[in-house]
Amino acid sequence: MNEWLPALAALAGTVAVYQGTRWFYRRFPYPMTLPIVTGTITIVLFLLAMDISYSTYMSGGQWIEKLLGPAVVALALPLYKQRQTVKKYAFVLTAGVTAGAVAGVLSGYVPARWLGLDDELIATVLPKSVTTPVAMDIAQTTGGIPAVAAVFVMVAGIGGVVSASYVFALTGISQSLAKGIAFGAASHAIGTAKALENSELEGTAGSVAMTLSALFLSFITPLLTAIFFS
Amino acid sequence: MQTIRIVFHIAILFLFYYTGVWIQEAFQLMIPGSIIGMLLLLGCFSLNIVKPAWLEQGTSLLLSHMPLLFLPVTAGIIAHTSLFAGEGLWLVVIAYISTLLVLVTSGWTVQLLLKRGTRDE
Repeated sequence: MNEWLPALAALAGTVAVYQGTRWFYRRFPYPMTLPIVTGTITIVLFLLAMDISYSTYMSGGQWIEKLLGPAVVALALPLYKQRQTVKKYAFVLTAGVTAGAVAGVLSGYVPARWLGLDDELIATVLPKSVTTPVAMDIAQTTGGIPAVAAVFVMVAGIGGVVSASYVFALTGISQSLAKGIAFGAASHAIGTAKALENSELEGTAGSVAMTLSALFLSFITPLLTAIFFS
Repeated sequence: MQTIRIVFHIAILFLFYYTGVWIQEAFQLMIPGSIIGMLLLLGCFSLNIVKPAWLEQGTSLLLSHMPLLFLPVTAGIIAHTSLFAGEGLWLVVIAYISTLLVLVTSGWTVQLLLKRGTRDE
């Protein structure tokens, strides 16, 4: 009985924090006020203030976490629904996502190795361009730290969205399809949401690119880390 | 009725997820089990074995509340805060610059291919 109480409190508390931060985001919609950012900060501060250990919190939190696997599986549905877009732009989509994924992994790996960081940290930063649950899964398989990987996913999402308009202007990237695919490949769901604000084609391209990028990186990241870390 | 339907939809997703995890473990694959499950479901959609309507509501519920699902994991950062006082800070910089490079590489690749495509026509 007494073991159930903290678990239930953690479960209810997480849902309440999520609802609160979602409401806050609707009123003040900026990348920095995304529920994942403010929600994580709220929970961490609460645990620290109340002196509750993470494992106590996870006795309840794990029940929410269990839904992450099925949620990744669920990404198949939007991708399937957009199969016309996938077919129509198959070549540019594949090329754009592949080029972006390779650029992302190499530009993450080379400077990190150069700075002499250890394998665990490098494996943690490499999957940053894909949506959080997939990034955490990739980090898990390659020996990284899932919770920290999520932080780099946020850096890629928020950093990309905040800087994209300058980057696109500076580099002459102006077509909707190109911008959408770039958003999806670099900044996953956060980038896709931004692309959707600009135009429908950009949003659809972003959402397809995001899922393809998640697929592609879950194949090449373990492969490359096996080579890099040997 | 609505709740039962959603639970059923999520149960189907769990089935694909655990099949994916099982395949990963059985064949010692490096690809996450969740991604294998997603590919299996995609395959079943294409072959008409599973109809999108069978899991529509459960799927959109999970996808629209994705941030809630990873809050417990991201709160795990609490055990790694010291990281961001040292080396981790460099990684934040690397992650940011690398993201800008991905934006440019993807965008340029697509734009270059589109331009070539129109010229050929």
